[in-house]
Amino acid sequence: MVTKTEDTQLNRLENQVDNGGGGAWEYLCLIKKLKVRRPEKVLKYGLSILNDSKKRSSLGSEEWTLYEQVSIAAMDCQCLNVAKDCIKVLQKKFPESKRVARLEAILLEAKGSWTEAEKAYTSLLEDNPIDQLIHKRRIAIAKAQGDISGAIELLNKYLEIFMADHDAWRELADIYVSLQMYKQAVFCYEEVILAQPTVPLYHLAYADVLYTLGGLENLQTAKKYYASTIDLTGGKNTRALFGICLCTSAIAQLSKGRNKDEKESSELHSLAVTALEKDYKNTAPGKLPLLTAALKSLKIS
Amino acid sequence: MAEDLVLDTAIRDWVLIPLSVVMVLIGILRYFVSKLMRSTSQVPDLKIVKEGQVIIRARNLRSAANFIPPKSFRARRVYFSNEENGLLHVPKGQAPNPQAQMFSDPNMAMDMMKKNLSMIIPQTLTFAWVNFFFSGFVAAKIPFPLTQRFRSMLQNGIDLSTVDVSYVSSRSWYFLNLFGLRGLFSLILGEENATDDTQRMMQMSGFGFDPTKNLGAEKDSLDIIQHDWALPKFEQRAEKVLRNLIR
Repeated sequence: MVTKTEDTQLNRLENQVDNGGGGAWEYLCLIKKLKVRRPEKVLKYGLSILNDSKKRSSLGSEEWTLYEQVSIAAMDCQCLNVAKDCIKVLQKKFPESKRVARLEAILLEAKGSWTEAEKAYTSLLEDNPIDQLIHKRRIAIAKAQGDISGAIELLNKYLEIFMADHDAWRELADIYVSLQMYKQAVFCYEEVILAQPTVPLYHLAYADVLYTLGGLENLQTAKKYYASTIDLTGGKNTRALFGICLCTSAIAQLSKGRNKDEKESSELHSLAVTALEKDYKNTAPGKLPLLTAALKSLKIS
Repeated sequence: MAEDLVLDTAIRDWVLIPLSVVMVLIGILRYFVSKLMRSTSQVPDLKIVKEGQVIIRARNLRSAANFIPPKSFRARRVYFSNEENGLLHVPKGQAPNPQAQMFSDPNMAMDMMKKNLSMIIPQTLTFAWVNFFFSGFVAAKIPFPLTQRFRSMLQNGIDLSTVDVSYVSSRSWYFLNLFGLRGLFSLILGEENATDDTQRMMQMSGFGFDPTKNLGAEKDSLDIIQHDWALPKFEQRAEKVLRNLIR
């Protein structure tokens, strides 16, 4: 996770570098440390360092990690020739390295030659069966080929070993949602929430899936998670506000005959409606009539 | 003692300074030798990695239990700690003995021996060298007085109770160098490369640690946890937030 101070530092450095103020190397180091994705910038400034032999030699042994960073960024930008050159340099320096072999496999993958890349990854996994990055690449290949069920299978196998990797759980949840397998997605989102319980986006996604599943109990739970999203974002999340409205009307519809109304929940509903109206009035006054019409239709049903 | 002992300047030139220089050089040499001998391919065991991940996940479940619905929590708890095939359940008698594990893996024993050798051999050699050439005389004087308690530390090898404590024997100077040069090494060889003897000792004593014990402890604390769903409270909090927002 990128903290706020790190983010401001990154932005400041980015500004400085963009305006020709120097500090490109520090910027690239920070990008690598925070693991943020800025391939164009890495490619541009990394290459400018690598093409300048004086600057390059002043890096010392860090030169090679820069080559690695630039080659990955180049593949991200589809500058495959640049990546190829970088990897060639690395290959010359470290002929036996597994890390370089991995880069070559990634290059194959970037070219789109799936079977060869798959073969390369498999042989790398034989040497080191717990290389997380290669496992993830194989899942990515399956997904890129459109083989969703294969991706699910690989991802499940991966999670059997690395079950504390919440990003993988999130990916699996995404895939399940795209296949409309909501029950499985619910489990995955619970896992993500367990790993990072205070990230509102996960609460929101979890609530969305629960609402889609339907049923009184799920709807009530979904409403609670929309409420927690509102609390965690300070009421700034429009989707959560709409979610509250939808859940309330759906719950009311389901429990119509049972006469088990809770007074508090209706209050949350009306508060959400007012918040929405205020928000629309401030940012998009032209769409206000649309909103009121939509909310009214919810109330009637 | 009334009058001071006068130390020959030759002692400084031929004992004090050479001893320190030799200690530093040996430290550096040892660092490079141990770097050479370190086995390069250290692929961690699949089972150990998996156990570590299970523990992290169980810990996450324990700390964030109140954020998921009660039903989901109970399902997970059973998944982790049931008596038949729970992830955290270690069947009795099947827990691997770390000692036996160590002997079954020759690589591990070899590693330890290498580490030990690179530490013990130079130490015994230098100690023998110092003992042979420089034993039994005073090598330096500390410019401030010290209490009797320091005698055993500073005058190792001299069994005279009348000598003032501020004089340092050569063997003690060796020991002072042995333990006091760590800061210098971390300057020369970089922060983490310092040949830190005490740290290595710690590693060695912690070597026989048993991952299954960790699993058991995690299971126990998961068993006793009370689930108190936090989400119902969030509805009231959300109302408060919205009220503030609307105002």
